[in-house]
Amino acid sequence: MHSSLNWTSRLISRALRSSFSTLLETATGGGGGGAAAKSGTTKSGGSGAAAGCPRPRFVSVVCGFAKDNLRHKYKPGKYGEDSWFKASTESADVMGVADGVGGWRSYGIDPGEFSSFLMRTCERLVQCSHFNPKRPVNLLAYSYCELMEQKKPILGSSTACVLILNRETSTVHTANIGDSGFIVVRQGQVVHKSEEQQHYFNTPFQLSLPPPGHGPNVLSDSPESADTMSFPVRDGDVILIATDGVFDNVPEDLMLQVLSEVEGERDPVKLQMTANSLALMARTLSLNSEFLSPFALSARRNNIQARGGKPDDITVVLATVAM
Amino acid sequence: MSLLAYAEDRDPGESSDTEAEPDALVDFTAMLRQRQREYGGWFGCGSKMQAEQSDQGYYLEQYVLGVLDFSSQYGIDYSISYTAANVIGRPTKFPAYGDYPETFPMVSRSGPCPTPFPFNSRPQRTYGDWWQRAPSATREIQAQNLPKLTTHDYIVVYFEEFVVPTEVAIFETFNPGSVVRIWAYGLTKHWTCLWEATESDLARPALDSRRFAPALKKTTMITKTLRIDFNHSRLNYYTEIDAIMLCGRTVSKTQSLLGKQQKRMQQQTQRQVLASPPAEASDPPATDGSGGPISYKLRTLKFQPNCHEDGATKLHDFINNDLSQFLMDNSVKGGGDLGPPHPLPPPPPPQVCLTDLPFEILLRILSYLDLKSLFRVGQVSRTFYDISTHPLLYAELSLKPYWHVASSELLCTLARRATMLRKLDLSWCGGLGNVSPTEFKKFLTQRGDNLTHLRLNSCKFLNASCIENVGIVCDNLIELSLRNCATDPPLLNFSCLANLKNLERLDLFQTAFETELLLSMLEGNRKLKHLNLAFCGVSVNMDNVAAHLATYNTQLISLDLWKAHFLSARGLQSLARLHQLEELDLGWCLREASLGDGLFQLLTNCPKLKKLFLSAVRGTTERDLMHIAALGKNLEQLDLMGILNITHERAYDILVHCPKLQLLDLSFCDNIMDRDFDLLAEWSRQFNVDIKSSRRY
Repeated sequence: MHSSLNWTSRLISRALRSSFSTLLETATGGGGGGAAAKSGTTKSGGSGAAAGCPRPRFVSVVCGFAKDNLRHKYKPGKYGEDSWFKASTESADVMGVADGVGGWRSYGIDPGEFSSFLMRTCERLVQCSHFNPKRPVNLLAYSYCELMEQKKPILGSSTACVLILNRETSTVHTANIGDSGFIVVRQGQVVHKSEEQQHYFNTPFQLSLPPPGHGPNVLSDSPESADTMSFPVRDGDVILIATDGVFDNVPEDLMLQVLSEVEGERDPVKLQMTANSLALMARTLSLNSEFLSPFALSARRNNIQARGGKPDDITVVLATVAM
Repeated sequence: MSLLAYAEDRDPGESSDTEAEPDALVDFTAMLRQRQREYGGWFGCGSKMQAEQSDQGYYLEQYVLGVLDFSSQYGIDYSISYTAANVIGRPTKFPAYGDYPETFPMVSRSGPCPTPFPFNSRPQRTYGDWWQRAPSATREIQAQNLPKLTTHDYIVVYFEEFVVPTEVAIFETFNPGSVVRIWAYGLTKHWTCLWEATESDLARPALDSRRFAPALKKTTMITKTLRIDFNHSRLNYYTEIDAIMLCGRTVSKTQSLLGKQQKRMQQQTQRQVLASPPAEASDPPATDGSGGPISYKLRTLKFQPNCHEDGATKLHDFINNDLSQFLMDNSVKGGGDLGPPHPLPPPPPPQVCLTDLPFEILLRILSYLDLKSLFRVGQVSRTFYDISTHPLLYAELSLKPYWHVASSELLCTLARRATMLRKLDLSWCGGLGNVSPTEFKKFLTQRGDNLTHLRLNSCKFLNASCIENVGIVCDNLIELSLRNCATDPPLLNFSCLANLKNLERLDLFQTAFETELLLSMLEGNRKLKHLNLAFCGVSVNMDNVAAHLATYNTQLISLDLWKAHFLSARGLQSLARLHQLEELDLGWCLREASLGDGLFQLLTNCPKLKKLFLSAVRGTTERDLMHIAALGKNLEQLDLMGILNITHERAYDILVHCPKLQLLDLSFCDNIMDRDFDLLAEWSRQFNVDIKSSRRY
């Protein structure tokens, strides 16, 4: 872990130093360009586009439930140990989720802290335009390195899934570590789907920062081990990013049914209703002890007699592509 | 991530979050309204245009678009936590108060002259005067040049639109009260000081976030680049800045606007002059008791000047003939009693003038003058010109306080005078192209061979050939300071600097360099006493450097490795071989690695250690803390920020067993909770130690 961190830091420092020095070189005359500007969040990318070139954008909504509603007071950006973010700049729309690994609770570490920090930093990096719109892995890596620079020690681990829509080329680039994931639906069919990354059953790939001295004992994957995919999108595509609370409880055909209904939907209210129903569906199924959920099915494949849903935090980020 | 941004992201038609509690929303909007009333609406998006449209252009409030330069920052430059880039844009954390990574704190080491006194963000490591008490403290060159409130750090920012500045607001979110000067860069390529702090301005403000907007000098200059100067000697802890706002009127046509304003100002002054004289003559003099003995005397005598037509002549007559008599008649000693009139005026004293003094005495007198006054004195007469250009007065030269007027011509002039130059400080000069590298090289070639101290911090004109010149010409250098020269690729060509063999102090704070070349320099300078490698970047193998130091530079007294990543336990063990070490700063080194017994060896073998900074060295265990208590007999300053395993017992242990301890930093140590603030205050009093801790604000 240490060596991969070295490598990542070197990569980042070189990249950022060169970009930072070009930012500093835009001197007094001539307004400095937009590169260093912290642009506000904008939904429409239409301004300044070349004539005839479609500028896609996401119409996105979020919904979710914490596993234990009583213990976790609602805080924006988190559902229990899960966390999510959405941000946009002139050149890209970015969304992501992260699922904190609950095992840290027994060591006195709050699992939600790591995932929340990861997502907040990604958001800040996007807003400062400190990222490459084609490489979501770099975004995750920068965010991970920022963790080291915090005065307050942050420990724990989480999975992560980040998705960037590049407005110029109308392509989506994704990076996924662990068992969160995304699904893309077009004309009633799943066209892209992420793969779950697991070391063993119920032990996903995870970015982690262990307590000092425990490094070798802790599972820690570097951002480079993320699964990346890039694909073009068309107007009306439905993209769902969710943590494993959804994928483990809602069977795929049911999800497909729900998602095909909102294809091409641009009204955020209707989209929100669908997201709500999907999250509620996941929650109800997770608390059902008889239903054969995808989690139960995969447990059986691993010779574990399981039945019913898997109670877990649920985060649903639902978006449609509008051109 | 503040609730602020969340509110602004919401479009009215979209409810992105159905789980939002309605109570939280209501409170927030109420707070917004209240703040708007207080601060007049700085929550606007980006550049806000107010409705005041006169023929003079719009009134515009804008936030920083980019950072041109800064002297130091807490975070490392590829990060966005605690770095200067956080000043850009709208404030993210204000009005919250606390130590947040989304702000800009500063970390300068440029210590001031010792004055009697006790982020982020870009946090200043010179809060209070702790750095002047450390073994690595330096003395300012030509200290008489410095103003009363010296500048420790600065930041240069630029905005989007040119405006005539009416207000500059600085949003401080942690330990406010460090801003001392605000400069603006005009179209004429000159810097103007818009505001300067007085002693009373720096009286410690309340510990709360504040929007600091001092009254600026009235000006008609047009600017979009500002420089803010900071002084941290009064602060309790680091200061952090969240954002800077520039308010002013935009200009549609520069010339016509300036013309209009000038005309209007002339008219105003004329009206004032005409209005006042008649009023003065008719009013009786004020009896409010203000003024000195002469005014008091005039009042008791009911002396009233009458302005008649020939009033001027009468006044002249009075002054020439009767004034001396008047003064003698009414002697102005004490309470104004009329003393006995002197019969004769005292005889005039013998005529001795300043130039009758011996040359050496005059030289000594003039040596107390700052550079600006020295140049002015030279304009008085030929004699004074000869004295003021004597080379002994230019043995120490510092252009740092004159950074805004330093130019190639000034260097040329100084080159003629400074034939005995020993110490040179050109820090902060040359920004925006005022000093050319060629001129500097010429200066150095002419005058640099006897230089012992050279400081070129944040010099923008430095390029590789300048450094080469330094290496070739200045081989008598004892101190070389090249802070803040970070470029990519690193411009420091150490093979030339390897010519320097007598260095005792080398300061490479925030400067990039190649490891192998530094190593060759270390080998050459066996007498090295003070070394600063803070922020040297990720490409340096610190373990190799530590091994080299242990072999070749055993006389090292102070070593600063702040944020030097990739130092491991092996490096720490090498450092334990430096027995003369008195000051060691290992902040943010060693990352997550465990220290092994490196710290124990260090403490055993370096008994003279006075200052030890272990900020965020997360691998420090409880055993290490016990060792610190047992072996740190001479410790005066100890920083344990962000270390996980600190408990009350360990902290108490350290306080009891380190009798000379003066500063103990326990911020972000989660085990020492906020509720124990009183306990810490109690210990602070009992052991007479300044204890810093994180309060939850």
